[in-house]
Amino acid sequence: MSDKVDFKSLWNKQAINDIPDMKKLLAKADRLKKINRYKLILLNLALLASGAIIIYAGFTIRNEAITTKIGTVLMILAYISYLIAYNQMIPVLFKTNMEASTQEYLDQLLSIQRRLSFLNRVMINIYFVLLTVGLLLFSLQAATHMTVFWNIVYFVAVFGCMAVAWFYLSPLGVKKMQKSFNDIIEKLEAVNKQLNSEQ
Amino acid sequence: MVFDEIYQTYWNKVFRICMGYVNDHDWAKDIAQETFVTVWQALPKFRNESAVGTWIFRIASNHCLRQIERQSRMPRSDMPEQMADHIEPDTEPQVQFLYKCIAELPETDRLIISLELEDVKQAEIAKIVGLSETNIRVKVHRIKEKLTKKFENYER
Repeated sequence: MSDKVDFKSLWNKQAINDIPDMKKLLAKADRLKKINRYKLILLNLALLASGAIIIYAGFTIRNEAITTKIGTVLMILAYISYLIAYNQMIPVLFKTNMEASTQEYLDQLLSIQRRLSFLNRVMINIYFVLLTVGLLLFSLQAATHMTVFWNIVYFVAVFGCMAVAWFYLSPLGVKKMQKSFNDIIEKLEAVNKQLNSEQ
Repeated sequence: MVFDEIYQTYWNKVFRICMGYVNDHDWAKDIAQETFVTVWQALPKFRNESAVGTWIFRIASNHCLRQIERQSRMPRSDMPEQMADHIEPDTEPQVQFLYKCIAELPETDRLIISLELEDVKQAEIAKIVGLSETNIRVKVHRIKEKLTKKFENYER
């Protein structure tokens, strides 16, 4: 009997519940797209505003010391490097070509995951190093005007927070995300191999 | 071709392809809906360079493949019971078995056989997947052999 199994007719017998109302879904998709766009604009604005405040503080308020200027530049570089890296991902993340062939699409997915993985591993470290060194240099001038007690309070508070973020929170997050990226990359490579085998 | 017409004509076909890929009604419905959201967004730019069916099946296939990312982030088995509802419509056991067997194949084989059973020409499947027609023919033959063997064991 098996020789006569009519796969096509069995395939077509798959029960289909009901055709969902697409209008509601499209409206929802539209709303979601707008929300994502606003979030993106807000993040950019927040980072740019932080940069603007630092520029103002670093170059206009009684900045006798060169360390303040170097600190300012480093912190701005930290923001800019992260902004550039983040924004470069936007077209890749939101405009993947869904109309590509399976093989091309798999390549796209792999490239996205590899880039995200890079952003996760390398850019976060660059951002933290620039920001920490920048903040340290930026703070030196102010430190000369403070008493020893307030100096200790200030540096322990600011750099304590940075240390927790860098040595504890960031590695945890990075490690978890990296595992997820590696799993996806491994799986995508395996699927890609399925296509390339037996060619 | 207007969207509504495409939606009515292709919903069942796209749904079956997604079912072949995941063998889960709700999940397949989600993927099919995502496919049509993409179709709706991309339709104004569609230039009839390929047949509309081929174009839609490409989008559907890619949405199926995208599940690899989601599965790694949140395996479906981790979802709370109530989220993945299991009210499946009545389907013949043989039909259920066929979809189960297909969903157990390697990912690209699932897509190839689903498109073949959906009566898409092998030349079109080749364009959708990005392989040569000869390659597709060989693959279809092998997949059918595998399925036939599974059905033989099933019937015993």
